Amino acid sequence: MQIRDYIIRRLMILPFLIIGTSIIVFALTRIGGSPIGIYLSHEMSPAEVQEMKERFHLDKPVPIQYFYWIKGVAQGDLGWSGVASAPVIDVFPKKFAATMELAIAAGIVAVSLGIAMGTFAGARRNKFADHVIRIISVSGASMPLFWFSILLLIVFWVWLGWFPIGRSDPNLFEAIAHPTGFYTIDALLAGNWDAFKDAVWHLIMPAVALGYGATAIIARMMRSSLIEELQEDYIDAAKAKGLPKNVVLKKHARRNALVPTVTVIGLTFGFLLQGTVVAEIIFRWPGLGRWMAAAVLRGDQATIMTYVMFTSILFLIVNLIVDVVYANLDRRVELGD
Amino acid sequence: MRNILILAHTILLGLFLSVGVNSQTIKNPGVLVHAADDEATTLDPAQVEAGEGGETVILQVYDRLLEFGPSGPELIPGLATTVPSVDNGMISDDGMTYTFEIRKGAVFHDGTDVTAEDVKFSWDRIVEMDLPEGQAGVISDIVAETQAVDDYTFQVTLLEPSASFLNSTVVSMAASIVSKDAVMANGGVVEGEPNEYMAQNAVGSGPYKLKAWNRGENILLDINENYWGNKAKLAARIEIGAEPDVRVLGLRAGNYDTIETDPSFVADIEGADGVTLHTGGLLLEPIHVGFNLNIPEGALPKEDTIPTDFFHDPRIRQAFNYAFDYEAFLYGPLAGFGEFNPHYLPIGIFGHDPDAPRYGAQDKAKAEELFRAAGYWDNGFSVSVITEEANLFADAALVLKDSIEDLNPNFRINVLAVAEAVFDEAHAQNPVEYAMWVKNADPFADPHPYMSAYQHPDGEWGEVHGFANGYRNPEKIAELIDGASTELDVEKRAAMYSELQKMLFDDPMWLITAQEGVTMAYREWVTGFVHNPLWPRPSLRFSYLDK
Repeated sequence: MQIRDYIIRRLMILPFLIIGTSIIVFALTRIGGSPIGIYLSHEMSPAEVQEMKERFHLDKPVPIQYFYWIKGVAQGDLGWSGVASAPVIDVFPKKFAATMELAIAAGIVAVSLGIAMGTFAGARRNKFADHVIRIISVSGASMPLFWFSILLLIVFWVWLGWFPIGRSDPNLFEAIAHPTGFYTIDALLAGNWDAFKDAVWHLIMPAVALGYGATAIIARMMRSSLIEELQEDYIDAAKAKGLPKNVVLKKHARRNALVPTVTVIGLTFGFLLQGTVVAEIIFRWPGLGRWMAAAVLRGDQATIMTYVMFTSILFLIVNLIVDVVYANLDRRVELGD
Repeated sequence: MRNILILAHTILLGLFLSVGVNSQTIKNPGVLVHAADDEATTLDPAQVEAGEGGETVILQVYDRLLEFGPSGPELIPGLATTVPSVDNGMISDDGMTYTFEIRKGAVFHDGTDVTAEDVKFSWDRIVEMDLPEGQAGVISDIVAETQAVDDYTFQVTLLEPSASFLNSTVVSMAASIVSKDAVMANGGVVEGEPNEYMAQNAVGSGPYKLKAWNRGENILLDINENYWGNKAKLAARIEIGAEPDVRVLGLRAGNYDTIETDPSFVADIEGADGVTLHTGGLLLEPIHVGFNLNIPEGALPKEDTIPTDFFHDPRIRQAFNYAFDYEAFLYGPLAGFGEFNPHYLPIGIFGHDPDAPRYGAQDKAKAEELFRAAGYWDNGFSVSVITEEANLFADAALVLKDSIEDLNPNFRINVLAVAEAVFDEAHAQNPVEYAMWVKNADPFADPHPYMSAYQHPDGEWGEVHGFANGYRNPEKIAELIDGASTELDVEKRAAMYSELQKMLFDDPMWLITAQEGVTMAYREWVTGFVHNPLWPRPSLRFSYLDK
């Protein structure tokens, strides 16, 4: 099957998968009880609670509640977030952009460092550099994210004062428009260099904390793949042809070693998104993860529904992208059969 | 997640003691950075709940007719130029009519003048909207009519004379004055429906203007350069929702100027370089165990063995009060920051009688005697208490469990510590399907709301919790509470509350565990620090502060 046909087929199936997922997720959230609690205080009388239920249609049977929810979604109304004290649709794009910015920054850290370290170590198998990188990788993979985050926080925010927490200097943030929600991009679009520096400065600590674990995984995968590739006959043939060592490594061995590594990178994206919850809490990053954690703890089901649906859709899309990238890297892979 | 945070907490506590910063270098000059606990729910005075995070902002950006001064319960002029009294003729002789002269020259943040019509509109608006989450009753329960006599004279007629009108209604955040023009241009007033614009924006006349509200991140307040009174010296930034450990670290590092904390962090802050710990004063939100005298048949958790009329017997309620280990709670979870005050009026509130009889020391012998007399000593009982998880309420419930179970191995207390939302929903049932709960009361500045809302047999909660089923003399208690609310003679009124406290000692409907102490921490470079528990938490008016 052609890649184009495969993509079209997957995209046609996507809406049904999303609706099916929404029914399951909605039912699951209601198993945990009515979501009315997030809108209440312990001083509300029963009559006031009833009024609140009517306001949010929570006095209706669950299927009718789902109807109201899906109708709202169709009209761009994802419900009211009790945690954020605002409509979910207003808050979600900002939180989404903040989390994606962090995840992408962490991904850049992880992929660039991971591939470089893996290549470096693989080409120097069992040498000193390999051992050093192994130690770095193993510690990165085994060190809990919250632990590493706290270390960074204490050293670089409290002791040295080099890096801030949060997402921005409020004055710089408020000084520019935010058409994309990505602070770095918005700062560049506004031509505000100070705001861009501020964005990057705030990104460094959480991105390094979050990306470190993924770096380790990618580096280990890259190293072992590269070692396997370097033992293949075609590598000997390339060397015999007189190709420089560097060319053999980068043009032949590394390219093929990237195939399994790209799969890992795809999976790593999920790891990064999961990790944002901890990183956002510790570094006070105002993203989806921190919002979601608060929503779960406080039973904010409108937020939970949105987040779960968002991650479901995201994973469906990422899986599709990984499949396509995989096929591009290795033409022997057949799609859809 | 919780385990992660607990572990993170432990690690932080182990590490941050070695934190050292240059305490002389003022960070964030020109801006007061306050690290708060919660996100605000709304910024609309007509929608905000008492004690909720939105009141923190409303206090700074809106004015009221009168305000509490910096050092206690004394009232000072706000948008009204004078505090009304019978002597100055602004309260009628029958105590029914109050007149307020509105300050000329005061302007809203949108540039429009503050007039008596805005005041009338603000008060009428909250009553007309009558939102379930709001505090419309603060006005509608006491005010019969409002009138803008002229542009700068506002008059209120009460339903009946009230001793609490000025210091419970007029100073309430719900009675903040909003710009009529701004409201009418942005959704107007609709009965039963929140105004989304006002929930997320603020058009007041206070010393601060709302600059931005970045959800989950911060709220930015600019100095109102056109403020009629003393202008704020610093802009303000409220950092929202930082973990308690991060707040403590940020304070020690000088990144935060003031933080909200609780007694469990005092030991980590005390002695920190450049940090001042403020521990004076008491919160006005008594933490209590509530007894349910209106338990529906078959509703209790299956572990509970008590009959539905268990708490109808005052001896049982007294026995619980005698059995509780008050010291364990005060010196354990509260780390010694608080007071034994098993009174129904907090210390610091008019009418609190320090000489009234009280519980406050564990008396196991007395508790045993009462349980025996009530007929439960030999066979024992099992009863559940519901509370929010992972906070002082849960701690109080655990102390109750230890106290009661230590008294008699046949007694069993099941602590149901649940998420806040679950608790709120459970407590809002009528009737409540649990025999006991632990929570705190709303803070008030006057004794009447404490008594009418919580102890009156026909009051908001007394009715739901069936107090009329258990009071020995419900009519007398109701008569005293109602009478004290309209008694304008201060001494007579105080005597009535004193008598009420004696009656409630004999006939307790709560077990008051302690009155929690104030624990605030701020950088030494912050000057002008004043803290008044009568202001909404964190009980700071940012406009008084400088650095």
